[in-house]
Amino acid sequence: MSKRSAAVPKKSPATSRAASPATTKAVREKPSAGSVSTLSKEISRRAYRTMLEARLLEEKLAALYRSGKIVGGVFLGRGQEALSVALGVHLRRGDVYAPLIRDQAGRLAFGDTILDTLRTYLGSSLGSMRGRDGNIHRGRPSEGYHAMISHLGAMVSTVCGGLMAKRFRGEKGAVGATCIGEGGTSTGSFHEGMNMAAVEKLPIVVVVANNQFSYSTPNDRQFACADLMARAAAYGVAGRRAVGNDLIDCLEVIGIAVSAARAGEGPQLVVADLLRLVGHGEHDDASYIPAALKKSPLGEDCLELARKSLVEKGWLSEKEASEWHKEVEKEVDETASKVLREPAPDPSEEDWNAFSVLGRGDG
Amino acid sequence: MFPSPDSKNLIPIIMPQLGESIAEATIVRAAFSVGDRVEADTDLLEVETNKAVMGVTAPCGGILKELTAAIGESYAVGATLGYLEISDEDAERLGIHDAPPPPVEKPKRKKEAGTAAGSSGSVKKSVEPTVSGLPVPAHAGGASFLSPRMKARMAELGLHAADLAGVAGSGAGGRVTIDDLERFLQDLERNTISPASSMRVAVADAMRRSWTRPLATVVLPVQLDTLLAHRRKQTVKAGPALYALRALAIGLSEMPATAGRLIGDRVIHPRSVDIGFAVEAEDGVLVPVIRHADQSPLADLVERYNRLVELARARRLPGSDTGGSIATITNYGVFGLTMATPIPLPEQTLLLGMGAGRVTPLWDESKKAFVPVTEAQFTLSFDHRVLDGGAAGRLLQRVADLLNDPEKL
Amino acid sequence: MSGSTSITYLEAIRLAQQKALAEDPRVFIYGQDIGGFGGAFKATKNLAKEFPGRVLDSPISEDAMVGLAIGAAVEGMRPIVEMQFADFSTCGFNQIVNQAATLHYRTGTPCPLVVRLPSGGTPGSGPFHSQSMEAIYAHYPGIVVMTPATVEDAYTMLLEAIALDDPVIFCEHKFLYYHLKAEKLPEVALPFGKARITRPGRDATVVAYGAMVHESLAAAEELSQDGYDIEVVDLRTVRPIDTDTILASVARTGRLLVVSEAWPWGGVASEVIARVATEGFGLLDAPPQRLNAKETPVPYHPALWGTHRPTASTVANSLRQLLEL
Repeated sequence: MSKRSAAVPKKSPATSRAASPATTKAVREKPSAGSVSTLSKEISRRAYRTMLEARLLEEKLAALYRSGKIVGGVFLGRGQEALSVALGVHLRRGDVYAPLIRDQAGRLAFGDTILDTLRTYLGSSLGSMRGRDGNIHRGRPSEGYHAMISHLGAMVSTVCGGLMAKRFRGEKGAVGATCIGEGGTSTGSFHEGMNMAAVEKLPIVVVVANNQFSYSTPNDRQFACADLMARAAAYGVAGRRAVGNDLIDCLEVIGIAVSAARAGEGPQLVVADLLRLVGHGEHDDASYIPAALKKSPLGEDCLELARKSLVEKGWLSEKEASEWHKEVEKEVDETASKVLREPAPDPSEEDWNAFSVLGRGDG
Repeated sequence: MFPSPDSKNLIPIIMPQLGESIAEATIVRAAFSVGDRVEADTDLLEVETNKAVMGVTAPCGGILKELTAAIGESYAVGATLGYLEISDEDAERLGIHDAPPPPVEKPKRKKEAGTAAGSSGSVKKSVEPTVSGLPVPAHAGGASFLSPRMKARMAELGLHAADLAGVAGSGAGGRVTIDDLERFLQDLERNTISPASSMRVAVADAMRRSWTRPLATVVLPVQLDTLLAHRRKQTVKAGPALYALRALAIGLSEMPATAGRLIGDRVIHPRSVDIGFAVEAEDGVLVPVIRHADQSPLADLVERYNRLVELARARRLPGSDTGGSIATITNYGVFGLTMATPIPLPEQTLLLGMGAGRVTPLWDESKKAFVPVTEAQFTLSFDHRVLDGGAAGRLLQRVADLLNDPEKL
Repeated sequence: MSGSTSITYLEAIRLAQQKALAEDPRVFIYGQDIGGFGGAFKATKNLAKEFPGRVLDSPISEDAMVGLAIGAAVEGMRPIVEMQFADFSTCGFNQIVNQAATLHYRTGTPCPLVVRLPSGGTPGSGPFHSQSMEAIYAHYPGIVVMTPATVEDAYTMLLEAIALDDPVIFCEHKFLYYHLKAEKLPEVALPFGKARITRPGRDATVVAYGAMVHESLAAAEELSQDGYDIEVVDLRTVRPIDTDTILASVARTGRLLVVSEAWPWGGVASEVIARVATEGFGLLDAPPQRLNAKETPVPYHPALWGTHRPTASTVANSLRQLLEL
């Protein structure tokens, strides 16, 4: 089965046998004939800038965490910005997006802001979650931006539901999108969600970020199939592979997947290999990740690689990159200072009501 | 379930269970007619539920003897649809003629003599606990039990259990129910009612509380002649109660534990010998107190005593002169009473009572004649938890001895 | 079936869904075997045909079924999820209690979905086709739990559930599906969240819901032969509980028995009693009692099942004990 084209295998099981994930090189594959690439200078520059924002924002969050200012846990996506942003930039208003833990870049691309991110992490009462949920559990569901729950896999069917609604209403052209780690694909709800997406033939793009470790659990304790891509065939959906830390490759592959979904070709699974360059949370030092892996091509920093690629292509100058870095840093710093002065939620001001109608809950 | 009299080997054809929560089915078709021979496990009838069409199967081979079900009609699960006549062998095999099993020995239920159904009284059938260990609160039965509902209502009305002493309860174990209470109160309205003064209510409360203890009284006749002679010789005369007060004070200074209080398993000793004396004021009794009565001789107390009596009568007794006494004197003799069993104050153990003095004949052994003496009965009422008759008697005797030696007071 | 003019409890549910589908284009039904087959209990009979594309057969995926409903509800639809049996809803438990129930509190976006649970026991249905799940769902703030006990309530309350903006667990009782019939459907209903005094009385209050309302009524009838007048209160909704009506009833009778088909631990009965003890202690003439199923999984054999859950005679028994206290 071709690794890139939009073939939707219905009968024969996948037979591709990729090299074991631990030794995958960051090699860009040439696009096959007939695939539609949406790669452009404009999208790439926007993607890079968003990755920069995600990176610098998360460095700020890590610093705030270590200085005791953050309420709750901090889970960062360092090393996964390219993959995440590649999904986010291809979405537009009207799409349904359920980002997960390491999707800071994707969220910013979809319309989330540095301000609301900081507000949610710092527990400001002015944040979108108003202190009722925090960190990565934020969202604005009425705008198609789902607020994930911690139970991995649950958001796949939720995104499907949003797409079903649009179908019922005759709305065309929207896609659903979610990202999940290889560990999350072990859950029953991931399985049910994928199966249902396939049965209902919904335009959902599911990006599996195979970052080799689920917290501390290596892949050989997570799944036994040689290649996660085999699952695409098992579900009856299209499968594609992307090089997880290569922005250009991610933009191309995911762009194709999103177009295919929009064109009505059903669910699209994209599997990408990469490495998480931080602990599972900021409370974790990830000492279980072997040094050799960190030094391998898989462990190369996608932000660095992206900058180099864009500069090489003439789509970005080093000067611009440097300026952007300063601008973003300034924005992040100023926003953080502002948010640190904002009020925490006041328990006496809360209505302590879980129902949409006041008074219904005390029964 | 048993065969009809005219044929001995009939078994019923029963509407089977047809699925989750299905209650009935409609007969659609009969596969055989009456008189046909059928094999075991063949479908005799077709029935339709709202889910599917299913068969009713012959449980045994035999002759279709009777079809009581009609085509197009609905019958409940478990209903008899007809009868099958079976062979003697099959009847034997299926045991249809076996006697019914003996009834399982059920635990004996206690039977109450019940009245016929329809009577106005409630017939309580015997009850077997549904849940093992069903808790019955320790004092849930019994006349004195007051449920939370009763307590709430009584609190609302300002009533105590003592107020209900006259109410015969109709509830479980003879307890007073809400209905009993309401009926009782309604009934009271038929009498003349006058408001009780706040003093009356206060005394009622004090007496009720005092009465929760086991109280007893001992009596001793005391000759007063010596005391009366002493009194005649004084210029400023002390009332008889003051003599008794001083005598009690001295007695208590010698045996203070008799005026102690029992709280749990501890006897709380009095701190100082402060003794009160009852004074009748308008619609009530006040109890002024002589503090440290053991430390001043009688003569020194007379003025103080008389002033207190005046203040009490005028109901202008200051707070500092009342309360905190460890025993009380009451002179019910002024009412002409020779004896009484008054109730000690609720916070005190002892109440010394003085009856009216009367001239009475006393046998004088030396003169071999009755001689007149002035005598009064003195009573000591006490909380029997703190002291017994013997100790009470000894204290009373000490008081009597002192009264007959007034120079010591 | 017999009595062609009368409407069964099941039919009332079917009619309510039909009305909802007809009048509100946002409504759709998702469940197993509900399309052409009309549902395991025929609750959606003919609806797939009448409303093409809106009554859909789902794979056996309770988690994804609820997840899908949540996503659709967020986008403005009014989904109804039919669980084939209440007992299987535990496969979708996570989505119900962790996403549907928390969505409004966390994000301000309401989640207007209905999950229909065929609940309660019938003879022979066994441990996994008999459960009553209302207490477990009611425990989570953010979930409305309905337990209609009459044909009329099954109809009006399902329509109400669909109209509510909050997630509703609709516990429809399997035993009542065909056993209960009514002549016609009502036009008006009791307000949402109000309990009904099904049978007024004086001597004791029985609070019940679902099939247990009918057992309680039968018990009340039995006790009336002995001169006792028992008041039966039908909760109608387990969350919210109509504490006011219950307290008013106990104020009249002074005695309380709560009957539930579910297990005692942390159940609806204990919740009702906790409220009465806390807020109405001074109304009680006797300690409040509860009657629940025996503390084992629901047995399969009808002989065992018959004594596992409260029946008219055990309710009557408990009442007699209560009246003696």
